[in-house]
Amino acid sequence: MHSSTSNSDFDFARAIPDVPWKTVVAAVALLTLAATAAWELRARTAGYAPSLNDTPDLWAEQRAKVRPDSLVLVGTSRMLFNADLDVLEQAFGRRPVQLALAGSSPFPVLADLAADPGFHGTVILDIVPAMFLAPAGSPPMAVSQKALRRRDEWNHAQKWSHRLGLLLEERVAFLKQEDLTLGQMLKRLPIPNRANAHIGPDLPPYFYTVDRDRRGRMFAQAAVIGSPLQQRVANGWLPLFTLPPPPSFIPVEQFQQMMGQAIEQRFKDTARHVATLRARGAKVVFVRMPVAGPLVQKEEAIVPLAFGWGRLVRENGVPAINFADHPELSSFTLPEWSHLSAPDSVEFTKRLVPHLQRALNGPGETATVATTRPQPASG
Amino acid sequence: MLFNSLTFVVFFVVVLTAYWTLRSWEARKNLLLAASYLFYGTWNPPFALLLFATTALDFWLGARITAAGTPGRRKAWLVASLASNLSMLGFFKYGNFLLANTQWLLAQAGFNYQPPHLDLFLPIGISFYTFHSLSYTLDVYRGTTTPTRSLRDFTLAVSFFPQLVAGPIVRAADFLPQAAQPPKPDTSRFIWGLLLMTLGLFEKTVLADTMLSSAAESVFAYAGPLASLDAWTGVLAFSGQIFFDFAGYSTCAIGAALTLGFHLRDNFRFPYAAVGFSDFWRRWHISLSTFLRDYLYIPLGGNRAGVVKAALNLMIVMFIGGLWHGAAWTFVVWGVIHGLCLVLERVLRALFKDAAWTDHLGVQVLLGLGTYAAVCFAWVFFRAGDFGTALRLVQAMTGQLAAGDAILPTREILQVLLVTAGLLGAHWLLRHTTMEAVVARTPRWLLTGLWSVMLFTIILTQGNGNAFIYFQF
Repeated sequence: MHSSTSNSDFDFARAIPDVPWKTVVAAVALLTLAATAAWELRARTAGYAPSLNDTPDLWAEQRAKVRPDSLVLVGTSRMLFNADLDVLEQAFGRRPVQLALAGSSPFPVLADLAADPGFHGTVILDIVPAMFLAPAGSPPMAVSQKALRRRDEWNHAQKWSHRLGLLLEERVAFLKQEDLTLGQMLKRLPIPNRANAHIGPDLPPYFYTVDRDRRGRMFAQAAVIGSPLQQRVANGWLPLFTLPPPPSFIPVEQFQQMMGQAIEQRFKDTARHVATLRARGAKVVFVRMPVAGPLVQKEEAIVPLAFGWGRLVRENGVPAINFADHPELSSFTLPEWSHLSAPDSVEFTKRLVPHLQRALNGPGETATVATTRPQPASG
Repeated sequence: MLFNSLTFVVFFVVVLTAYWTLRSWEARKNLLLAASYLFYGTWNPPFALLLFATTALDFWLGARITAAGTPGRRKAWLVASLASNLSMLGFFKYGNFLLANTQWLLAQAGFNYQPPHLDLFLPIGISFYTFHSLSYTLDVYRGTTTPTRSLRDFTLAVSFFPQLVAGPIVRAADFLPQAAQPPKPDTSRFIWGLLLMTLGLFEKTVLADTMLSSAAESVFAYAGPLASLDAWTGVLAFSGQIFFDFAGYSTCAIGAALTLGFHLRDNFRFPYAAVGFSDFWRRWHISLSTFLRDYLYIPLGGNRAGVVKAALNLMIVMFIGGLWHGAAWTFVVWGVIHGLCLVLERVLRALFKDAAWTDHLGVQVLLGLGTYAAVCFAWVFFRAGDFGTALRLVQAMTGQLAAGDAILPTREILQVLLVTAGLLGAHWLLRHTTMEAVVARTPRWLLTGLWSVMLFTIILTQGNGNAFIYFQF
């Protein structure tokens, strides 16, 4: 931008274009308001309602609520959707802090709690082996690290912006960072990629809400089997739970060796962090949340349950609950194979509570490596 | 506090309302000073003390320079100002870099030195406010500005929130005279300031963050060999991203200052239409290039001591200019590339100064595109975190890789090409004019429509609150 200035260092003024500014600014205000209102109307017509965005700010806000003796929920979207905070609060006498993150490896959050010298509470850790063991630099790790970074670097201005943002999100339907931003809408343009391009799969569409406590709930429409949203979400998981091809620039054997070493290190680090927490008096429970349909085989193909879950349970010596070992936890219909519907999540949590209580108060539950509940023999 | 944040919107509305409500000019300046320190302190309150300490010291040293009875004493006080400012900048910004390089040098000499890692948190905007403050003692020493008696006015000059953390680098000599008299309310100036703020935010949130940043991040983060198309797309994306990000901030700063009645100079003048590197530096980050010209290049002798010395001076200036951007050798290489191109341009200009064909439009366009390509090549080193990444990209861009990976979605490639074509076209068309002149002759309906579209698309981005790139410098 270039404007004319006078010659003197001490007497310069920017040129102001000669325009009927009052008229222009009034027209701009009207047009922008009209466009925004129309966009809001369109969003509501399309089924969107005001709700909060599940942002790193919201997570950081919850992380700040962790007290030395807190009950903390850590994990993936399965913990976020399936754990009902009210039910857990009634059962344990304190409101849990929900730190699970959709699409994440919970390992960095576990490590963060272990590194918090004041924390000696209870950690209920949802383990999806393919996510938990995801290597450094992978998208699941990046999700957790982004949230932790936000907590570490959260300044006053960002906190105030977050609070103001919540006020708007509670009232405006089009404020949906996962679906209705300009960037997300551009991503949905039907432009085919090059045949040889290494492009990661798209994330599933927006299909859940969170509240201030980050209680996640699946949309009712997503829980209707056969609905377009349910189909989109369910089919979205399959490419996401498919291992990408190894990088072209590292020999396959070398890459496999690197991955093997990284996974081995993750087992060791997990054991170290769990031991640190337990040495401080904290309690840790591993939970394997329900999964169904083709996702079971997809997850098994990435990290076999006997290898991932089995070894984590065996090496850490903490109580563990595998949904597949318990008929009352396995009898739910998972609309999109990965999460419970909002009403089912309440019932599921009620049924999970006795297991958690035994795990925390008794000698502890042990879990098998069954991938799914054995079907009763017919006839 | 970021311009592209809800906190800033509320902050700015409150500050503007209170500012234009107050009658006393002294009260208004007090308000601006408090607002500026609040603006800065929301990042990390203790660093506001550091900012004030720098300011107060230079205020005092400026007075000492004026009061000094002999040239030697004047110079001594100036050296004290330079030493205090640059040592603080050096400590926070270059401490670990210096230790790492010392370790490397000693290792070459056979000494095993393990330096302590300084766990330093870089005060945001330190490179900018150090230069704001330093310009005062330099100008007082040179006799081009009269020292102010008001610590408050000088503190406001250094910390004025529109330009505090990412420029433009506003010299105290430009600001202090404006602090002497209250500006008269002017509706046109106020609304024009709002339009500039909208343009700056549009450049940042829509063009830099939404349209370009993803391709640049993917390409520069990729650890393997890239297809030529992807490498070029990533570099073009970054060339646009850094312009829209930085020019966007400057435009916001100029607009915000105008709404308060202050006039800041341009920091960008359509730089990607530059023909040659000297033209580029007359158009890109003008406040830095003129700062380095006036306070470094000319004192070194400029081009007064022969061709070789002038070339050497240029290289020194660009070396330091590179280092100013960050504590890494990749930034130095970026500066050196610019220095070499400036020297080469001087040689070519000397050889072809009388050739009429160089003024032909086609030649000018080709030279402009050549300049842009060379600037993009230099951006590779600026953006790459290490030389391995930079070399991989250069190899891919120059077709030296038999096979590279295609990693960008076609949509992102199209976005980058579309925005880059628009950027280059707009800069070329506007290279001999000003934004103000263009706006003045734009039909009202079109101006209204464009402003509305910018505002609406800013709303559609939903404000991810990404920091501006130049904050890290």
